[in-house]
Amino acid sequence: MRRVIRLATLATAASFALSAIAQTPRNGGELIFPVPSEPPSYDGHREETFGLIHPIAPFYNTLLRVDPTDISGTRVVPSVASSWTVSSDGKTYTFKLRGGVKFHDGSELTAKDVKASYDKIIFPPPGVGSTRQGQYVAVEAVEAPDATTVVFRLKYASGSLLAGLASPYNFLYKADILAKEPNWYEKNIMGTGPFVFVEHVKGSHVVGKKNPDYWDKGKPHLDSFRAIFMRDSAAQVAAVRGERAHIQFRGFTPKDRDNLKAALGDKITVQESPWDCILMVGFNHEKKPFDDKRVRRALSLALDRHEASKALSQIAIVKAVAGVQVPGTPFATPPEELNKLAGYWTDAEKSRAEARKLLREAGVPDGFSFTFSNRGIPMPYEPLGVWLIDQWRKVGLNVEQRVIEAAGYYGVIRSGDTEAFMDFQCGYIVDPDLDMYKFLSTSRNPANYGRYEDPVLDELYDKQSRTTSVEERKRLVGAFEKRLLEEEAHYLMTLQWHRIIPHSAKVKGWQVTPSHYLNNTLDTVWLSE
Amino acid sequence: MPPSSPLNETAAPPDRKSAGTVFATLVDFARRRPLGAVGGAIIVVMVMLAASANLIAPYDPLATDYAAMLAAPSEAHWLGTDAFGRDMLSRMIHGSRTALMVGLGASLLGASLGSLIGVASAYFGGRVDLLVQRVMDVFFAFPVIILALAVVSIIGTGVGNVVLAIATPMVPRCARVVRASALSVREMPYVDAARAAGFGHPRIILRHMLPNVMAPVLIMATAFLGEAILLEASLSFLGLGVTEPTAAWGLMLRGAAVEFAETAPWMAIFPGLAISLAVFGFNLLGDSLRDALDPRLRTQ
Amino acid sequence: MASYIIKRLLAMVPTLFGVAVLIFLLLRVVPGDVVEARYIGQGSQFQSQELMQLERKKLGLDQPLWRQFTSWMGGLLRLDFGLSMWTGAPIIEEIRLRFALSLQLAIMASTVATLLAIPLGILAAMKQDTWIDYAVRVFSIAGLAMPSFWLGILIILVMLIVFRWLPPMVFTPLWVNPWENLAQLIWPALAVGYRYSAVGTRMMRSAMLEVLREDYIRTARAKGLALKLILTRHALKNAILPVLTIISLEFAFLLGGLVVTEQVFNLNGLGMLFVEAIARRDYTLTQALVMLVATTFLLVNFVVDVAYAWIDPRIRYR
Repeated sequence: MRRVIRLATLATAASFALSAIAQTPRNGGELIFPVPSEPPSYDGHREETFGLIHPIAPFYNTLLRVDPTDISGTRVVPSVASSWTVSSDGKTYTFKLRGGVKFHDGSELTAKDVKASYDKIIFPPPGVGSTRQGQYVAVEAVEAPDATTVVFRLKYASGSLLAGLASPYNFLYKADILAKEPNWYEKNIMGTGPFVFVEHVKGSHVVGKKNPDYWDKGKPHLDSFRAIFMRDSAAQVAAVRGERAHIQFRGFTPKDRDNLKAALGDKITVQESPWDCILMVGFNHEKKPFDDKRVRRALSLALDRHEASKALSQIAIVKAVAGVQVPGTPFATPPEELNKLAGYWTDAEKSRAEARKLLREAGVPDGFSFTFSNRGIPMPYEPLGVWLIDQWRKVGLNVEQRVIEAAGYYGVIRSGDTEAFMDFQCGYIVDPDLDMYKFLSTSRNPANYGRYEDPVLDELYDKQSRTTSVEERKRLVGAFEKRLLEEEAHYLMTLQWHRIIPHSAKVKGWQVTPSHYLNNTLDTVWLSE
Repeated sequence: MPPSSPLNETAAPPDRKSAGTVFATLVDFARRRPLGAVGGAIIVVMVMLAASANLIAPYDPLATDYAAMLAAPSEAHWLGTDAFGRDMLSRMIHGSRTALMVGLGASLLGASLGSLIGVASAYFGGRVDLLVQRVMDVFFAFPVIILALAVVSIIGTGVGNVVLAIATPMVPRCARVVRASALSVREMPYVDAARAAGFGHPRIILRHMLPNVMAPVLIMATAFLGEAILLEASLSFLGLGVTEPTAAWGLMLRGAAVEFAETAPWMAIFPGLAISLAVFGFNLLGDSLRDALDPRLRTQ
Repeated sequence: MASYIIKRLLAMVPTLFGVAVLIFLLLRVVPGDVVEARYIGQGSQFQSQELMQLERKKLGLDQPLWRQFTSWMGGLLRLDFGLSMWTGAPIIEEIRLRFALSLQLAIMASTVATLLAIPLGILAAMKQDTWIDYAVRVFSIAGLAMPSFWLGILIILVMLIVFRWLPPMVFTPLWVNPWENLAQLIWPALAVGYRYSAVGTRMMRSAMLEVLREDYIRTARAKGLALKLILTRHALKNAILPVLTIISLEFAFLLGGLVVTEQVFNLNGLGMLFVEAIARRDYTLTQALVMLVATTFLLVNFVVDVAYAWIDPRIRYR
């Protein structure tokens, strides 16, 4: 058994070496990066912010992980589990753990610890909260038959389980500690990760140093890292520009990228990717005339997404024209197909004429005015808000913007006191189950503030979720998308966010992905001379 | 006839004057208080711009032009364009309307509410006065911007709400100053007479006391105007004020203006200049008014 | 004198209580709470209502308002600010570093304001109605007129282009590296101090004018005493107190109200913390900050009043 695991380790190591650049990593150095927000607590199972991932993820491991060299951020590879098998009915997943994984206190990680961590996430004991419980509804039980085997038994086959087990939030904790004090990890850090916690000075920084006993021999390459909390984005850019920080892992604006490139030239490497976050416009289906799908479709047709992709990508962190999946990922509709959807046409004149026609048919008078609620966050809510209102104005609609302060926003939206409103979704991995859940009937997902029931959409969702055939799933996702965005136009998509990471050219071994939650374990990262 | 208020000492109320003497007074004012006159001139220009915005603005302030984003000042766009290709000059001209509307609205609301509370507090005296004073003390201990922030968070953004938010912190300050003047008015024989004649409280407060504390109210209101414009700009800059696409100076300084400050400095410079100039004008005028109307208030 | 001090101190209690009630209620009226700020709106696809109820219970947000209020008051009486609702850490710990920064900035800005206001005010008064007087007044009123965030943007822009200066990454406390610390704070202190000097300058000018008109100054002048001597001996002594008073009264607001300046200069001070705390609906932290600023304000008032009473005993019996 041991041998099999070793072989698997070697195999992964080899594939890493092949896909990575042919340079030999240099050991040593301290990686310095600003983080725009500070972690509220240290418990990954509880929090929902990159402010936790960026400084804290290097202290932990997860059962599986997303391949740190995969630009689409969707390929799941081994981590603490070195291999796995799936039963023929797709309902039993058996994971083999690699040996020699040690907690920072010296004790060995076993299947018991994995089970305890996942039990906390999926079946939290009373009084312990779990944020992502809803993502694992298919899981019936987690079992640890022996020290190196973990079994996930499902109620039904699921196409998304592996993605779920690669979640960067699902830190593996120590079972003994969880048994004694389930909330211990909120205020303490003790994992198996490539870095060991040194200090956290409130309002200032977090420091981690190399774990000399790390199971993945030869890693990490860095001696230490320093995460510095900086709220202001201008200051973050200035830090990279002044070469006082190497990288900021969330993303900069197009202008920041251009300024940095102009100031530092070859000393800056720019990595870009579509970002697995998107702003969309929802409509309160209980308010007239937004109960009429012709009106909703007209509002989508009014947008010239292709012009915006060129114009707005210069001033805001958005770029690609997209549907329900990030372009370039396995289940995304190819551009030429997407452009056939109403509102995605390349001929803006034609679609505006169609929009006006639909509005007339629905009995909406010229100069009709309504309120668009937007969330009080500068980037990219503000530029997109201005753009939307301008586009709607071009088909004769008079829109007033109501900006609601960020933390109070969803309270207002949920209350139903809206007409059209901005909504937002952002994920750690591009996955149809995750990305389409938002749009299910309000009775199934109360976080769908559109207040509509659409059984057809619900059924399409369930079907794609339970199919294990990739081709069939693609077809179902496409059908879901067409119904959501064109036929019913329940929501309208703005542009996909665009993630721009201009970083010091010294930073190697780090690949941008569509998610700012991914690739922050820092085990593969190194600094060149 | 009530005893002369400080206002009457230097000049009779304007309605008793002919146009010629008004002009003469203006010239005299300009000669004796050149700074005040400069302030007045700035305000007159601003009011004229605001009034004729639709006529003189070269472009529709809302019209976007994605082919001319962030264009530098040129013949087509004298002050350049913003991140959406909207004409800066037109947006600045229309922005003067927002500034005046918020400034006037907030200072009128704040001053009238404040003076009413101040006079009532002085008139009733005793426990009522003490209670009002204590409540005002509480408001004083709150930083202005924090109070405005809190109010906006509760009632929301937009021009009307911003006026309310800005007026709120002004009420206690006005009330305190007015109360001080009203205390002396309360002791005047004609107030006693009115009371003896059996007039109701509201009538005495509104008809007999309020008109006689107008001088400090006027001075405070002018000072508030500049401050209100500044506060509106700050709130809009923080994203808690007027909302896009409305043209407003503070809003124009937000977001892209800061981000592109290095390569498109016109976006950050001109709206800031407009705010500074407007507030400067109101402050200069307010200062001179203070000196002219009431020498005793000079040190307050 | 002792009874006056006690009386004044006691008078602070109802005001502070009022501040406490006001901020407590204001926060509860603002839509949303800390749990919502934490779990809704990060864009994640799955939300757990059970989790949110649980978190509310843990924080005591499910308790009736009066109970929340009394338990907060109880803590305050024991000088215990409690825990931040956002981080769960003691508020004292959250505030410590930011307080040091804000306090230092407030002191430096007040110093700048005083150093500007006094000489400028004297100069303007001595040269009343000449171009020097006008120039001083224009200079100081312009300081009031420029939005602080705009001035900050301009300063940073000029520094960046001309001197290639960059704002600091992290705050260096005075006791760690005084030189670096001063380099970080001098620019915001100048920007803020200039602005706050305006009121002081005006005050100094009019106080000076009044003093110069007093008989004893005229007598002294008639006696042929040098103007400089008169100024330092008599006029300054009488005119400087109100100026110091008005500048110190602004002090509390410099401590917690420099929201925009801190943002522009990337300073992690109390003003930014205030905005963050409100944005996260961290009730306990916001309340603590408001109480801190209000107490400072009242204490400064108190010290000023006592100082006046000490100088002029008649005030005590007013």
